[in-house]
Amino acid sequence: MAIEDLAFLIPILPALAFVLTFFLGKKLPSGGAMIPIAAITGSFLISIVITINMLANPEHVISQSYHWFSILNLGILIDPLAAVMLSMVSFVSLLIHIFALGYMSHDKAQSRYFAETALFTAAMLGVVLSDNILQFFICWELVGLSSYLLIGFWFEKPSAASAAKKAFLTTRIGDVMFLAGIILLFTDIFKLVNGTIPDGVYLLRFDEIFSFIPELSAMTATILGYEISHLTIITLLFFGGAVGKSGQFPLHVWLPDAMEGPTTVSALIHAATMVTAGVYLVARTFPMFLAAPQSLIIVAYVGAFTALFAATMGLVMNDLKRVLAFSTISQLGYMTLGLGMGAVIGAEAVGISIFHLINHAFFKALLFLCAGSVIHAVGTHDMRQLGGVAKVMPITAATMFAAALALAGLGIPGTRIGASGFLSKDPIIEAAYLFGEHGGSWFPYVFAIVAALLTSLYIFRLLFMTFTGEPRSDYGGHESPASMTVPLGILGVFALIFGALTTKVFNGFLSTTFLNDFVHMDFHELAGLGGYELAHTAGHHEPLLILWMPIIVALIGLLIAFVVYYLKLIDMSDIVSRNNPVYKLLYNRYYQHQIFTELFSIKFIYEGIALAGFYLEKSLDWIVSGISGFIIEAGEVLKKAQTGVIQQYATAIITGVGLLLILVELVTEVF
Amino acid sequence: MTDLMLLAPEITIVVTGLVVLLAGLFMSTPSKKILAYFSTLGCIIALVLTINSLGTSATLFSGTLGINALSQFFKLVFLTVTLLVSIASIKYTEGNSHTEEFYTLVLFATFGMMMVASAEDLMVLFVAFELASLATYALAGFEKQNPRSLEAAMKYFIAGALSGALLLLGISFVYGASGTTNISAVAQNADLLMSSPMGLLSVVLLIAGFGFKIALVPFHMWAPDTYQGSPSVVSALLAAGSKKMGFVAAFKVFIVALIGLQADWTIAFAILAVITMTYGNVVALSQTSVKRMLAYSSLAQAGYISMAFVVLTPMALTGGILYALSHGFMKAGAFIATAAVVYMVFKDDKKSEIPDHIDNFKGLGKRMPITALSLTIFVFALAGIPPTAGFVSKFILFSSTIESGFVWLAVIAIINSAISLYYYARVVKYMYFIPAEGERVSEPAPYVVALLIAVFGVLAIGFWPEPFVQMAMNAADVLI
Repeated sequence: MAIEDLAFLIPILPALAFVLTFFLGKKLPSGGAMIPIAAITGSFLISIVITINMLANPEHVISQSYHWFSILNLGILIDPLAAVMLSMVSFVSLLIHIFALGYMSHDKAQSRYFAETALFTAAMLGVVLSDNILQFFICWELVGLSSYLLIGFWFEKPSAASAAKKAFLTTRIGDVMFLAGIILLFTDIFKLVNGTIPDGVYLLRFDEIFSFIPELSAMTATILGYEISHLTIITLLFFGGAVGKSGQFPLHVWLPDAMEGPTTVSALIHAATMVTAGVYLVARTFPMFLAAPQSLIIVAYVGAFTALFAATMGLVMNDLKRVLAFSTISQLGYMTLGLGMGAVIGAEAVGISIFHLINHAFFKALLFLCAGSVIHAVGTHDMRQLGGVAKVMPITAATMFAAALALAGLGIPGTRIGASGFLSKDPIIEAAYLFGEHGGSWFPYVFAIVAALLTSLYIFRLLFMTFTGEPRSDYGGHESPASMTVPLGILGVFALIFGALTTKVFNGFLSTTFLNDFVHMDFHELAGLGGYELAHTAGHHEPLLILWMPIIVALIGLLIAFVVYYLKLIDMSDIVSRNNPVYKLLYNRYYQHQIFTELFSIKFIYEGIALAGFYLEKSLDWIVSGISGFIIEAGEVLKKAQTGVIQQYATAIITGVGLLLILVELVTEVF
Repeated sequence: MTDLMLLAPEITIVVTGLVVLLAGLFMSTPSKKILAYFSTLGCIIALVLTINSLGTSATLFSGTLGINALSQFFKLVFLTVTLLVSIASIKYTEGNSHTEEFYTLVLFATFGMMMVASAEDLMVLFVAFELASLATYALAGFEKQNPRSLEAAMKYFIAGALSGALLLLGISFVYGASGTTNISAVAQNADLLMSSPMGLLSVVLLIAGFGFKIALVPFHMWAPDTYQGSPSVVSALLAAGSKKMGFVAAFKVFIVALIGLQADWTIAFAILAVITMTYGNVVALSQTSVKRMLAYSSLAQAGYISMAFVVLTPMALTGGILYALSHGFMKAGAFIATAAVVYMVFKDDKKSEIPDHIDNFKGLGKRMPITALSLTIFVFALAGIPPTAGFVSKFILFSSTIESGFVWLAVIAIINSAISLYYYARVVKYMYFIPAEGERVSEPAPYVVALLIAVFGVLAIGFWPEPFVQMAMNAADVLI
């Protein structure tokens, strides 16, 4: 049997594990954790074998469709893009599950935890291998649901419950846009095929969608006097979904609060699942974006802005996990920026962006697990109370240092020597430079480079504050058990060398995502539809300074952090004070919370509603309770017709016959 | 011989019934359990035989019986319901000395329903109709010691006898005007019926006769009393099975035989559908007995299905016919879940007056998790929430109604669905949001198996509607 025949098992195994763990977990040792671990190991093995096979023959993708109903299908599509994501998701999820064995061992609701993470993994794997946009959306919603359950895992804590709600509602805004995009896409395509659909053609399968790109881009709508093609609207709506799921500005507000769940959940959400779903959505439908340049530009700007915006906030947070949360948002910004660069470098953008996504998955999972390890041992995540942890937890400290190197992106330009973050972030920044050079604006490049400086600064600040110096409070600590340190070690190795090992193959492999026996897109033609031209990147060389720029700023960041937080040469107390307006602005996260809840929500919505409600409430109340009251009252009255006396029943039947006769006669007469 | 092979499912059911009846005479009460399993086996065999014969089409016995997609589809509905009832009754009849009579009656009632589905002649149809009715009268009063059960049977019988008389009267008018009782021959002589005032009279009388089984207002009054008073498994058979017998008979008689009088009966069904669904839903709101609530909800569902008579397009009939199957799963499942709850209540308190009171459903999610989860799925399906059978059927039925221009009817039906959510959700609220007043009860295996089969059916149609819609479409093609 070919491995392809097992591909459907990839999401099915964790889904089964969810059911089994949910019902039987309580009776098994360690909450039945072994079931999801075994299932995800299975998914991982199948994924990795498929990926390795595909490396040899990237044009041959796995595509299996099953008829669902009418013109919809269920199916799996594993092309290079999906194969890479599947391997990454199952691998990182597997390590996190193993780590959770130790981390969650004290929790009473262990079995529920493992069941929910299994569902989460299943949903994410389902997103990755969907071959049509509807199934994609269904799994996407499942991801949202399970993230809600997991963020609110400790639901008895009010902060966790409200964080879960916030995450659910915020991402829902994006989801609604995504759904609107699907509906618009479907109605458009339906109109285009004129209602006649040959057998075996499934309208929402990606290959069908892509084949309609020229027609979609020709359909236009006039909005506010501008002529906008339907393709632009659809892609922007899709991107709206991605903004919600991938925590891009302005829907990023849920991500920092999502820390309320167990740290392992944060690792799962931030590294392997959920947040990458948004980036994946754009990558999956990238040919559509290529033919809609306006959307691509917006993608680029949103990404670049988010990268910088989140990095500035990461700089001043004192909570270990919050720094990492803002770092995730910032890195997602890079990935989105990378995709937006498709406007100059075409489908190569998918390669560089997904490469960063994969590398980020490794080092971000590692960062979170390290933080989890520290929190597990020390019991606090306030960096102001930590310090000198490296002495008690050397393995954790070492692996976290490796992750920091990867995040800051240290390496030697022009070679393949460097931590994985370097090898993937650099191409994005270079692409942003190219974007500026080719007549786009320079904003993305400037934002990306400043964000790189801040990234290095905040992550080394975290490292020095936590692991070096003298303890700033009394904490007992011990190195974590092997079930926790082994995943750390594995991820640490990956964070350091994965990029160097794969950077050569990766781009070539991913570039076949849209050039294979399932879909075959001509990127220059797509760009032509959008009315622009792709740059010829081959043999292009940036000035030396530009090439070295990212590494220079990263080193500057490291240096500043070293001087300030390790040597403590500069007393920060002047700067870090409530009197400094910049610090205050950053510390309060640009007052987004205030803007969102107080100004926007309360002032405009609540008070607006309260005002309108003052007049409406009484009448609405009266109408609603009036109607329901009337119906229920009617029920009470009619109930009395049921006397229980059989003679009256018989009378009703006979009268019914008579009345029916008369009524039918009457109605026939009248009409 | 080949002719008889076409009736293999019916023969299986009758033979099983006779064997059970005779064997039961010589068996001790505890060993009668085996009869229950034997009957279940008979149902399964008949079900398999029916599924195998889905594609066949033939007429037998000088055109009095017909085997076609419609008849086989409804036999499928009846046999599925009987199978569910039969499995659940393994527990219900445990230790009862009348087990063999119970099962024989269930099987004979099923046989009657199956014959109605195949009948191509009004007299055969009437006799089969009465066979099913007589068997169910006895079943409704199966709990001889329980006055409620006896009262239920008595009311059912009297209302049934009266309706049977009206039905026969209606048939006699049809015969008098058209000179034949053969369904397709009546259709050919439609002019004779249309020219005579007897036409309208017979339509109304036939509606009253079938309306009794379907439980259309105002011929419904026996239904809440009988469904509540009868053993729950019997209520399942009545609501999910015998109601569909009324529908298949009405489909044949009106749409095939009396198509010439379409103008008259369309109006009659429009009036009755609207009154029935509204009345059923509104009265269901204030019920405290869950079985009674289900009875009224089943009135409402009958109202929805009756819309198919009004719209009368192939798609609407497909929706109506598919609804019959979906309703079979949902309603039988819901009544069997209630049976499990009644079993639980009687375990605590033998003298409980209203064992199916909504208060007894408090915290059911903790006390009987499988039953509670299944019942949740059933009531949501009845309310028409995706991805369940109820949603698919309602969607097809309502959208075809709108497509044919009966927007007002669809609006009324949709408003009714919205109202119904109130009382369905209330059951869920009691089961999951109100704390339990008792210990966890181990759920008897027969109930669990029956519930899981019904859940499977409800979700299968919900997730994979295509094959079922196709089957219903083939059945609808027979009519139009």
